[in-house]
Amino acid sequence: MGLASRSVSIFRYRVRGDVEGPFWETVEEGIKGNAFRETQSSGDVVGMGWTSLNDFADTRFERTPYVVGNYVALSFRIDTIRIAPRILEMHVKAETRYFLAQTEQKRLSAAQSRELKESVKERLTRQALPSIQIYDLMWDTATGTVYLGTHSPRARERVEEYFKKSFGPTLVPLIPYVRAEELLEGKSDRRLLEDLRPASMLS
Amino acid sequence: MDFLDILKQKAFLGREFLTWLWFKSEQTGGRIEISGDKTVQVVFLDRMTLDLSDAETPQSVAIRGEHSQLREGIAALREGKKIEEARVSVSAGQDEFTLILKGTWFAFGSLRTPAVLPSEEEDPEEGPEGRLLEKVHLIEEGIEIIDVLFAHFLKIRISEEWDSQELPMLRKWIASSDH
Repeated sequence: MGLASRSVSIFRYRVRGDVEGPFWETVEEGIKGNAFRETQSSGDVVGMGWTSLNDFADTRFERTPYVVGNYVALSFRIDTIRIAPRILEMHVKAETRYFLAQTEQKRLSAAQSRELKESVKERLTRQALPSIQIYDLMWDTATGTVYLGTHSPRARERVEEYFKKSFGPTLVPLIPYVRAEELLEGKSDRRLLEDLRPASMLS
Repeated sequence: MDFLDILKQKAFLGREFLTWLWFKSEQTGGRIEISGDKTVQVVFLDRMTLDLSDAETPQSVAIRGEHSQLREGIAALREGKKIEEARVSVSAGQDEFTLILKGTWFAFGSLRTPAVLPSEEEDPEEGPEGRLLEKVHLIEEGIEIIDVLFAHFLKIRISEEWDSQELPMLRKWIASSDH
């Protein structure tokens, strides 16, 4: 569900910390150096990175610029392949039978079993099509606010890590207390906020 | 205090805000006056979730239905629960926004803004970027209304008025409302 949709879910962050060096140059390097690319990891993730907000296949930002007014507009794309456990089990069993028949062994050693499972998983991963997840992000560089188009904790965690890796600053979720600290001016008000305890609303 | 401690220990703030907001919207017929001659319209729509925030094991109750059925939420308030999330409609002028406001994270779910200009009417010089900017400005406008309400709540919550007037009225509303 993209930010341009009729109905959007928004998670709001404050950008804490500075972008080192000339701002827009560092941002450009951060985006292009961390644009979406396929990865060779042992986990389920087979690709990750920034893409154009209007086109998740555009990883060079040729068709849509990433600077819109004073905003940085991006999508975070993450491709995963998850082989269903039973499919994996079925192929591992077949492969094991074939291997034992070929080698005339009675059973596999622990190391052989692990290796065989890994190689079957790798082969199946190569054959499968990934599931593509897209999360839109708008970074208001004037106010240091980021709007992320998802509430999913796993997605948020990934975007938070990737944002820091790409640009340097930390994304701090604008939860009520953090926002309250910003909205209240003056030390005495903030001290009162700090001292607040839950109120019982029962008579 | 690190972030996770704040999240855990101060989660009550968002829930108290939502609970107060419901009370305020009911008490004022949905027109909440903010200092500075500003009025914000707030209507609680068809769903809310209430939670026993101070309990070791969370106990939550979800209520769905039309406006009148939401009054079942009063029964949950009488058990000491507070609102964790609610679908509301807010407006501070002509533009109206509906959203699911979430207390703990202060997140905005299913936020519907007024429609942006249809693409055939868009300025060719601005293109899709113009539409995107317009959409983001509308999102910010909706969130700003929530911020205005939250700032209004905070001002009361940290003042003496909270204990002397607001909390007693809120308690009375919970105790005396029909459901």
